[in-house]
Amino acid sequence: MSTADILAILQGAVVTVTLSFVGILIGLPIGLGLALLRWADVPVIARIVAVYVSVLRATPLVTLLLLLFFALPNVGIAIGPVSAAILALVMNTSAFNCEVWRAALMNFPKEQYEAAQSVGMHASLRFRRIVLPQIVRVSLPGLVNEMSLLIKVTPVLAVVGVVDITRAAVRIGAETYEPLPPFLVAIAMYAPIVFALVSLQRFIERRQLAAEAA
Amino acid sequence: MIRDFAIVWSERDLLLSGLGNTTILSVLSAIAGLVIAFVLTPALMSKRRWLALAVRVFVDGMRCVPFLLFAYIVYYGLPSFGIRLDNWSSGLVALTVYHAAYLAEILRGAWAAQPREPLEAGVAFGFSGPRLFRRIILPPLLLAAGPIIGNQMIQIVKDSAFLTIIALPELTHAASSIQSRHYVPFAAFITAVFLYWGLCLIIEAGVSGIDRLAAARR
Amino acid sequence: MGMTNDMAVLDVAGISKRFGDLQVLSDISFTVTRGETVCVLGPSGSGKSTLLRCINWLERPDAGQIYLNGDRIGINNGGVVMSDRELSRVRTRIGMVFQHFALWPHLTVLQNLMEAPVQVQKRPVAEVREEAMALLAKVGLSDKCDVFPARLSGGQKQRVGIARALAMKPDVLLFDEPTSALDPELVGEVLLVMRELAREGRTMVIVTHEMGFARDAATRILFMDRGRVVETGRPERFFVSPDTERARQFIQRYAAG
Repeated sequence: MSTADILAILQGAVVTVTLSFVGILIGLPIGLGLALLRWADVPVIARIVAVYVSVLRATPLVTLLLLLFFALPNVGIAIGPVSAAILALVMNTSAFNCEVWRAALMNFPKEQYEAAQSVGMHASLRFRRIVLPQIVRVSLPGLVNEMSLLIKVTPVLAVVGVVDITRAAVRIGAETYEPLPPFLVAIAMYAPIVFALVSLQRFIERRQLAAEAA
Repeated sequence: MIRDFAIVWSERDLLLSGLGNTTILSVLSAIAGLVIAFVLTPALMSKRRWLALAVRVFVDGMRCVPFLLFAYIVYYGLPSFGIRLDNWSSGLVALTVYHAAYLAEILRGAWAAQPREPLEAGVAFGFSGPRLFRRIILPPLLLAAGPIIGNQMIQIVKDSAFLTIIALPELTHAASSIQSRHYVPFAAFITAVFLYWGLCLIIEAGVSGIDRLAAARR
Repeated sequence: MGMTNDMAVLDVAGISKRFGDLQVLSDISFTVTRGETVCVLGPSGSGKSTLLRCINWLERPDAGQIYLNGDRIGINNGGVVMSDRELSRVRTRIGMVFQHFALWPHLTVLQNLMEAPVQVQKRPVAEVREEAMALLAKVGLSDKCDVFPARLSGGQKQRVGIARALAMKPDVLLFDEPTSALDPELVGEVLLVMRELAREGRTMVIVTHEMGFARDAATRILFMDRGRVVETGRPERFFVSPDTERARQFIQRYAAG
């Protein structure tokens, strides 16, 4: 394996991680929106969201990706590998984020919400000033956990031809007739990123525990 | 559109064998993973520092590695150690080893959260060794960890789809074959999606059953 | 409006509330005049808390009317149920103190007091801060202004809860069992603050189980049982010679306990 090969894998890793973060950034607010629709129990729509979340949580990213990539052009929606990849990541992570946000909303103390009502805060003010800051705090470890899960499944995007970490490793393996080394290099680059997220999650949990104990 | 689903229906044998492979693969690796986890967990909590550290490195390492890359390593790496496995077996090994690490961490968490008193009562009533573990420690542990183990099983089912990449004939691979043979991508993959959904609903039903058992025993 | 006298701050007329099969409130009527301290007593499950929550429409009554200084609460001039914003405007005039304090844990003590005056009433920050500090001094917690609620004892939390309600300058204060969640040794400090408010002539409706406080500080007792107002009167009369058998039994039980 040459230095150029390692650089190619690094480039692939950058693509993979970038796509993950794009997916997370778009999926986070969408997940919150879905959770609010369910929390507010909007008739019909809440049911639809519940089914959407249930199906998406059960669907492997590969399968979803193949579905989007091959079926959307079939119904006249042109979609490239990268767009299909981002769409699949967003759909996947928004469903998981929805559950994290919803759990925080369901556990939100009713009395605190009523205290906000009793001092005359209207709905959007209650949400912005009282509910949101607290559910962000409660949801944070779960959301970071979802991020690391998402980053761990993103290498599968190669399956539709995104030139990412997996594709780079496969190509180099095929060229050098030594498939193992490029994958070891890929893991060596990828694991620290996931490790950082896992550590961040533990750090947040510990800090919150300490804050509660104080 | 209906014609597309008719084509998928005509290939139902292929799809069902894919579903069967996904199910068998998931169940086998869940069971084997749990067995390994039950060995790893005590090691994680061992007083022998080197042992605890070694297992900790393995567990945390697995948790930082994407399953797909790990599956490639197993698939390509085992032959270099002189072990020749077919797609199916190396997929099973990868799935099992990978998730054993997650399951070990789940069991450790549940174990650490268990109250000490019932265990001490068990000792006081003369239980010890394997009997103490089987009769006193294990039942509440499994009840407490049940829902999280269930979640992990769903994760195993979903990760098994990655193995399509090493050409293991599981559900997603079957859907891919149908799609490339007949060019019915929507019908083929949406059918696969709903079959995965069905599998997960079955697991979730099992989890809520365990939850009901646990709720009555809290 | 015509029926209420000029001094009535709160006028509750024929309130009923039902949860499923359970009739929690049946045709409750009473008025509270300016400066009164009304203590609502009664066995648990008699509907006291629900009554309080109906007054500021945290719970929507099934029937009856509530007027605050002559303005109908919950139903607007067009005769329809108020929107969230209309309700919010009315609620700024009704202070509420909660059984479990309901402080906002992500805000400091001072921020808890300032949040609604600044965000809802849109009053100038500097002015609100000054008043909030004065209120904290009044409840004896000036030194805790920058502390988060998690660091306070239950008694301190409830004193902050009272100060938070006062910061809105409400026309009437509602207390929902303000000392029930406190350790016995912390009850006194909260009651002390409440007595002071009663002496100042604040208009208050207090649901409580503190008989001693009700006897000394209340200007009037409202005794409820099974969702009805069974008896009402001045505390000296209520505690010594109640009109009804149920009130007599209730007082005896608490005197014994």
